[in-house]
Amino acid sequence: MRYAAGWRSRVALGVPAALALLLLVIPLVALLVRADWARIPSDLATPTVLPALRLSLTTTSVTAVLCLVLGTPLAWFLARSEHRATSWVRALLTVPLVLPPVVGGVALLMAWGRNGVIGQHLAPLGIQIPFTTVAVVLAETFVAMPFDVLAVEGAMRGLDPRLESVARTLGASDLRYLRTVGIPLVLPGIASGLALAWARALGEFGATITFAGNFQGRTQTLPLLVYVELERDPQVAISISIMLLAVSVLVLGVLRGRWLR
Amino acid sequence: MRPPVDDGHGGEGLDARVRLSRGAIEVDVPLTAAAGQVIGVLGPNGGGKTTTVLALAGVLPLAGGHVRVGGNVWDDGRHRLAPEQRRVGLMLADSLLFPHLRAVDNVAYGPRSRGTDRHRSRERARLELERVGLGDRAASRPHELSSGQRARVALARALATDPALLLLDEPLAALDPDTRARTRSDIAARLTAYDGVTVLVTDDPLDALTLADHLVFIEDGRVTQTGTPAEVLSEPRSAYVGTVVGLNLYAAQGDSHGHVHTATGGLIVTTSPTEGAVWATIPPSAVSLHLHAPEGSPRNAWRLRIASVTMQGQSARVGLVGDVPLTAEVTLESVTALGLQVGHDVWAAVKATEVRTYPR
Repeated sequence: MRYAAGWRSRVALGVPAALALLLLVIPLVALLVRADWARIPSDLATPTVLPALRLSLTTTSVTAVLCLVLGTPLAWFLARSEHRATSWVRALLTVPLVLPPVVGGVALLMAWGRNGVIGQHLAPLGIQIPFTTVAVVLAETFVAMPFDVLAVEGAMRGLDPRLESVARTLGASDLRYLRTVGIPLVLPGIASGLALAWARALGEFGATITFAGNFQGRTQTLPLLVYVELERDPQVAISISIMLLAVSVLVLGVLRGRWLR
Repeated sequence: MRPPVDDGHGGEGLDARVRLSRGAIEVDVPLTAAAGQVIGVLGPNGGGKTTTVLALAGVLPLAGGHVRVGGNVWDDGRHRLAPEQRRVGLMLADSLLFPHLRAVDNVAYGPRSRGTDRHRSRERARLELERVGLGDRAASRPHELSSGQRARVALARALATDPALLLLDEPLAALDPDTRARTRSDIAARLTAYDGVTVLVTDDPLDALTLADHLVFIEDGRVTQTGTPAEVLSEPRSAYVGTVVGLNLYAAQGDSHGHVHTATGGLIVTTSPTEGAVWATIPPSAVSLHLHAPEGSPRNAWRLRIASVTMQGQSARVGLVGDVPLTAEVTLESVTALGLQVGHDVWAAVKATEVRTYPR
């Protein structure tokens, strides 16, 4: 049971609380107010939008698949391991969460660039990664994968390890346990992890523009296009922003309705 | 209770010595049982009961010793069968049903995992559910079942693979008292039709006394006492067992004059033989409490301090500390008549004929 708050604490905390809320809400409302709703369809039909939309959808989809196929096993190891090194790995994973995306882009260049740690060995083979669509995927994966891994690991940690003991005594191999019990039970966690990662990848800007550049049809994703259009035709930028905002709200809605409660 | 089944070739039972260390305790527990027997494993928490069960299941590896069941070697310290290669059934405290599967699919999970086809597995699962009285709840999901029903589904699931060894680790611990009593008799009924070895870990003496043929007490990773329930009830051999069976128990040294000296410096008079190292027991109901030194002999009378008073139905249990620490069971009337309060001193009297001794 909670006590009703007294008027003093309501004023003392209510004023800053309202300010905080305003700081978050005003920009969103402003975006909606300034949008020219009648123009949105024609804005989105601008020749530059379709390639960017297509590129954003394909790269974020590939990123989501990478998160699913590579991130889920990583989450599984983190969730099971009791080794001391695990907490270091987990700390390492959170770095991309807090790192300025531009720094991420520079780091990616140092790894995969023409003179990068790995890139220098790829260049003689005729493989160039920076400023290609592959670079966009690498940048998006770099920033988005941690969201997925941490969310899925949390769900996996919630699994009672005794379930596996029981399944094993019933005759299930460890793989059969994973397939029939472990994974089905963490499916909601995997789905919400993927949704978070996908949304983060969709919004990725700094690492992409640093590492992949801004080439129409090849590396220019929607956020990059918004930035470009803001100088050329702000109304188009606003229309694309409205679309991205709608997608974000949609993802949140799906997450809340189904998995985040 | 059933007599052990003699199958003629002696290979159908459990023959195990479980040795491993887990956390701070070193477990070394020998366990043997004939087919059809129910072994009740009791002991304080953290003493190695669950560790023993998990080692028998193959979930924890043995560091030494062996596990042989029905003539098959499951673990001999060198070769170890994985849990899924053992004919074992495991049921744990919270039932641990697979929450996303219907009751029938939970029970069919074992046969399915062991290679039986879907149809026959379901059929077997329905049969097992009927045997625990849940034939009509086959389509229910775990969250739609009561805790007692979940426990019965878990038992059905553990038995659906025809295990040679059934491990029940505190199967009733998560149930409320009413459900517990009913589920206990359901489990008892189902176990009479089971011909393998059952190892039942419990912290409830009633489970052990009503379900088990043979009791094994594990404390600090070691077996402190084994025997039939009747043997254990009459002659406890550790402080913990004494508490479980509800007797005051003293490790004592006897002289030949009917006197035993407890390790705490107390003197107890008895009519029972007293030569050498003995255990002495005093039933709590044989203790009477008085405000003044009681008259008459041959009697034991000690001045003790009241450490606790708890109500138990129509009687009260009074914990007493002093030379001969004692639990007394007295009527509620005497609690009020004598004004028994924690911290007060009283006289506790016990007839010498009520003190039983047996060699240590």
